[in-house]
Amino acid sequence: MVCRKFAQSLSRAVDTFGSQSWTQCARTARRSLQPPTSRCISTTVSRPAEIETEIQEPFTAAKPFDFEAEIGRKDGGKKDGKNILRTLRVVPASPSYFSAKPTFTDDFLSLSALLRKVATLPTIPNAEAPKVAWKTVEQYRIMTNEPVKTQRFHKMLHILRRLNCIHPQLMPEEVVEAMKRYKKPSQPGDVKPKPGVIDELGRAKGVGRRKTSSAVAWLVEGEGEVLINGQSLTEFFGRLHHRESAVWALKATQRLDKYNLFGLVQGGGSTGQAEAMTLAVAKALLVHEPALKPALRRAGCITRDPRKVERKKPGHVKARKMPTWVKR
Amino acid sequence: MPSANCLRNFSQLSLDATAHSTAASRFLQPRVACFSTSAARYANPQMKKKGMTAAPKKGVKTLNTKKSKGASGADAGKRPAQGERKAQRKRIVLSNNNALEVSSLKDLTKTNVLSEANEGLVMGLPEPVVDALRDVEAFKTTQGWSFFRRPAVLVRKEAIQLAKLFKAAEEAAPGKDKKTIRRILTGNRMSGKSTLLLQGLSMAFLRQWFVISLPECQDIVNAHTDYAPLEGSEPTQYTQDTYTAALLSQTLKANKAYFENAKITQKHDLAVPLPAKAKLSDLVAIGVANPEASWSVFKALWTELSQPGQPQILLAAEGLSHIMQNSEYMNADVKPIHAHDLTIVRHFVDHLSGVKQLPNGGVVLAATSKSNAPASPAMDFRIKSAEALKIQTSIPQWNPYTNGDARTMEALKDLENPKADLDILEVGGLSKEEARSIMEYYAESGMLRHQVNDGLVTEKWSLAGMGNIGELERASVRARI
Repeated sequence: MVCRKFAQSLSRAVDTFGSQSWTQCARTARRSLQPPTSRCISTTVSRPAEIETEIQEPFTAAKPFDFEAEIGRKDGGKKDGKNILRTLRVVPASPSYFSAKPTFTDDFLSLSALLRKVATLPTIPNAEAPKVAWKTVEQYRIMTNEPVKTQRFHKMLHILRRLNCIHPQLMPEEVVEAMKRYKKPSQPGDVKPKPGVIDELGRAKGVGRRKTSSAVAWLVEGEGEVLINGQSLTEFFGRLHHRESAVWALKATQRLDKYNLFGLVQGGGSTGQAEAMTLAVAKALLVHEPALKPALRRAGCITRDPRKVERKKPGHVKARKMPTWVKR
Repeated sequence: MPSANCLRNFSQLSLDATAHSTAASRFLQPRVACFSTSAARYANPQMKKKGMTAAPKKGVKTLNTKKSKGASGADAGKRPAQGERKAQRKRIVLSNNNALEVSSLKDLTKTNVLSEANEGLVMGLPEPVVDALRDVEAFKTTQGWSFFRRPAVLVRKEAIQLAKLFKAAEEAAPGKDKKTIRRILTGNRMSGKSTLLLQGLSMAFLRQWFVISLPECQDIVNAHTDYAPLEGSEPTQYTQDTYTAALLSQTLKANKAYFENAKITQKHDLAVPLPAKAKLSDLVAIGVANPEASWSVFKALWTELSQPGQPQILLAAEGLSHIMQNSEYMNADVKPIHAHDLTIVRHFVDHLSGVKQLPNGGVVLAATSKSNAPASPAMDFRIKSAEALKIQTSIPQWNPYTNGDARTMEALKDLENPKADLDILEVGGLSKEEARSIMEYYAESGMLRHQVNDGLVTEKWSLAGMGNIGELERASVRARI
């Protein structure tokens, strides 16, 4: 990048014009007229912050001063070492060293520079961008060991999200590398469940849960026969509503006459059992026909209902109910 | 709470207990010894007086949620007369004027009732048969007759099996070896056992058999009618005069065609004199009019029916498990009377178990119930072993730790014998074609407002537990969502 290259060229210049530039004060005085972007001057090569992936920042110390060589080169050992030391100033690795959060400031500046560079690339809407789990502010604080304010971190996240919206086909490698530093180690979609298989008897298995019930369903091609725990649908579920719930995945996709269903349900009450069957049947059906997933999602057969009985609290009669208010 | 109570106790210290100040406080407080206040305090916690809250301010309306006890609430509506509610509950409605007439509906006739060509069709019941079925109380309040213009039945696979049995009994009747076919109808709840029994009854009525039907076995054994020991019976049997009279009256009404020209051929000794040139119907009418003679009249009727040349007989009963255990009646030693010791039940069970054969051949039909049925482990065991015989699996073992009724085991032991005539007739689910046929009938009657296509039929068939007809009706006619 600009500052880094500038710094590198400068350090090269320092090596060549050793006599001129080894005193830092002279250099800074000369360079005070430069624009603020070129402030990155140090005795070391500036750190490529955006490439690093380790949690803790690697620290590169400044080059050791070789006083003898310097002295010999300059004026043949006329001056002694004490004078040289007096003129020496240590320059920190980062130009933001004197800010309270140098790493964060560097990160922010480098990301802003990167965004300025790639701002003209075509973008896709935020909703269509690939889902990324960014590091939380806590994780970032631990990584940098700096007290980063939440609001500032969110400002950085804005930049990152904007970078993530670049059209995937035109996404520069540079940006991908830069974003890697701010992503969580595990990303959504990393863990993919094993695809279901149809066994040698033509059965597809699905498991579903609801409240405290759990159900296992096996689907085979057939003509609409249903057995749950060895009983027919009417014997097992007294209510018509529960029967419809149990086979809803098949009914909503007009597959009721195409498959035979065997189910095992346990735990909970009849509503829980019926709705656990819904999920189990839907999963088994997806093994047979994966293309039905959107239709099943619209029918509400994909998402597990996470609601459970709320726990009772002390001082309450039930979860939320308070004892009757008595005047005295 | 330094209240009046406290002060009163103090005052008691100096007072004699008898010289208590007020009578009222004596009722409220137990007598206490002086110098001890605790018992009195703790034993009777002071109840809050009613109306402690301040009186409402003048001109402020207070909410009164109590219903006024005055004249307004009491006689708001007219109470139903005695027996009206029961009549409402037991009323059997066989037609619905709002339902559409099904133009394609054909009636069952004497010629086509036993034909196999009817399979899978919905057939109407002709008017005289409906009357006869009403007389023998074959229609139940729980069945959905009231949804349709007139009673009609689906001729399902099991009905065809039943028709074949009737045909076999009829074909054997003219020959020497008469056939008594005995069947027990079993199946899931709402699978149509009672309706199949009704179909059997209508077949018998149409083929002009003689029908004796026990409409509900519970009514025989639940001790709601009078009973008396039968003289000269060993071990003692019990007659139920009122019930027998009612049964005779039902039989008389239902078999009107037979009684029109049936004559008395035998000599009977009855307690009541019989007029000269009396017909058989007069004999039965005597039994109806004089309940104390009803059992002897029933026996006389049976003797008449046993003569050669008389029609075949259909003996039918519903709710079999009620008569396969002790009845609610008590004997003189206050021990329960077994149902098989009641004369009517004995008569039926003897024919069901094969102890006696129907004299001119015929069919004995008994329907089990799954909703109103006391537990009868012995009967269930026998039925299970019959099912095992049918599907050729191992016959179940009797669990020696259950209390089985020995007489039931004995009566139904033919179920385990593959050669015997006694068997079960399993009423299962409808096939999809049958389901389609009945659903088309529903749709044509205007009770199912949906186009009957394959999708709907399979959906309802599956939801009805693989074609359980009661559930099918419930899902398509009763529950209109």
